[in-house]
Amino acid sequence: MASSDIVQYQTPLRKIGNILIGVFLAIYLVWTLLTFLMMFVSSLKDLLEAFKLPAVGDWAGVTMFFDFTPTLRHYENLFLDKNFGTYMMNSIISAGGSAIISVVLGSMCAYALSRTEFRGKKDLLFWIISTRMAPVVAVMVPLYAIFRNFELVGTLPGLILAYTTFNLPFAIWILKGFFDNVPYSIEEAQMCDGANRFEAFVSILPLVAPGIGAFLILCVLFGWNDFLFASIIGSGGAKTLPVATKELVQPQNIQWGSIMAAGVVTTMPMMFLGLLVRRYLVTGLTMGAVRE
Amino acid sequence: MQTTLTNGIAEGQLTNAAKLANVSKDQFRMSNGIRVIDYQPTSRHAAPSNRYYLWLILPAVIVLACITLYPFFWLIWMSFHKVDMMRGDIWNNFANWRRLLGDRSFGNGWYLLLKYSAMCMIMEVGLGVLLAVILNRSKYEKALVTLFLMPMMMAPVVAGLVWYYLYNSTFGWYHWLMQSAGILGEKSILGDTGTAMWGIVIVDVWQWTPLIILITLAGMKRVPRDQLEASMVDGAGDWRNFFQITLPNLYPFLLIAILLRFMDNFRFIDALLVLTGGGPANSTKILPTYLFDVSFQFFKLGRGAAIALTLLLVTIILGMILVKVFESPAGKVNQEGN
Repeated sequence: MASSDIVQYQTPLRKIGNILIGVFLAIYLVWTLLTFLMMFVSSLKDLLEAFKLPAVGDWAGVTMFFDFTPTLRHYENLFLDKNFGTYMMNSIISAGGSAIISVVLGSMCAYALSRTEFRGKKDLLFWIISTRMAPVVAVMVPLYAIFRNFELVGTLPGLILAYTTFNLPFAIWILKGFFDNVPYSIEEAQMCDGANRFEAFVSILPLVAPGIGAFLILCVLFGWNDFLFASIIGSGGAKTLPVATKELVQPQNIQWGSIMAAGVVTTMPMMFLGLLVRRYLVTGLTMGAVRE
Repeated sequence: MQTTLTNGIAEGQLTNAAKLANVSKDQFRMSNGIRVIDYQPTSRHAAPSNRYYLWLILPAVIVLACITLYPFFWLIWMSFHKVDMMRGDIWNNFANWRRLLGDRSFGNGWYLLLKYSAMCMIMEVGLGVLLAVILNRSKYEKALVTLFLMPMMMAPVVAGLVWYYLYNSTFGWYHWLMQSAGILGEKSILGDTGTAMWGIVIVDVWQWTPLIILITLAGMKRVPRDQLEASMVDGAGDWRNFFQITLPNLYPFLLIAILLRFMDNFRFIDALLVLTGGGPANSTKILPTYLFDVSFQFFKLGRGAAIALTLLLVTIILGMILVKVFESPAGKVNQEGN
């Protein structure tokens, strides 16, 4: 609200401007939501209905889009024939497992980094964050070779480790910011009262708990949405939802209805979780460089 | 020992005060009776020592080293060898690197990557800043931002698949929409070398403009009010206000946003793999996609490693600039509040 509370006079020109702004916002909003609407509606459409299009330029024909009998058979197909229950479980385990490991190790490390000074700390921090900036494809070439040696390819532990490559640096970097905001005097007071240093550490955890919880969710989001690692490292035994969805695209037979249904299944939980941690989203996606 | 523990006085302030008094920090502390809490243990428990912190830092660093540093050196090793899973790696006399020199797909990959990133960036930043300015004065800011955020939660590969469906030239609604609007002739968006790049750029813009909106909004909350008010009193209009005060204050934020999006375009190729896979006729084969093909389609892991290293190098340079911006006085965006 930078300047809106300074009285503005509704000159005719301004009125027109406001209307134009409103129209622009509406168009952008429709554009944002249309893809979701299309995905959702198409997941309920039968094959024939999904492929119906009005003639080019027949704007009135757009109503055709909503003219269908909804069916749940694509969802049934996914879970009854296509084993999506298993893939969903794989997604939950790999994304959740990596998130938990990253946040536990990350908060320990972040806490210590926030409370101590040493030479080369800056370099250490840069190294940590640089591992998260590395292109996934570039990291994957050697990681694949190494994981093959350790027989981790196609396993859930392998996938969890792979996700940890981008989740752990992120957790350290962000959580350090949270611990920096907690004054040391709180722990000090605890220790004067006879708490040992571990108890002192535990005593400040409630203060950072909301942040830690939010970053747990963000780590889950990153793992859940990952495709490249899952398709290479997880190929074989540890298929996740995005990979399974992509596999519904086959050269001869693209099962669009099922793909859209799988898209809904993959997107919905993360949409919910993502909006839950909305406040931390900027911090998370920008590696803490910008806070809201 | 613990430098930050000076009775509520920030380290920086102490340094400044000591400088003014022209004495060393310790002398200043002592002469002014500022108690430094080095924590003399009053209980049987010892004060946190550096070793205690070391034990907390170590597990994370070891795990990170195993999954990033070790692969990194492995990557360098691989780039000098013909990688053969069965017979072991064979030194091949810089062949991987020499091949890059004459590799047209490699040069083309870099060119397309920069072109793709630049196209995304111009559209995302333009649209994002415009929307942020509008939202910043809107009554419905919160609700609208929440709705705008939705694309960011979608897995990029799913986004790619849905757009692929909607772009389809026989039953895709977006294709129909564009044809009906007269933008597109008989061409299909992803099947034509002239429009395929636009096809993938638009998906990126759809998914990531919200991030620019968010960053810009966060930046706009930090524009000093007194500057805005002073300039209002001077009779500056909205436009002048925006260009002379708001925008300069936004620069560090925008720079961070741009660097991050650049790095992400280097990082993720999920949507692109689904949409065009680099085609048609290599017109969207940006470097990461080419790298993916070399490594995981043709399994030339050695050559892939050399390409990956060039990509890593550029990303690290971008990252260093990012950290510099972030630490520079102008870019102190992280410091105030939460």
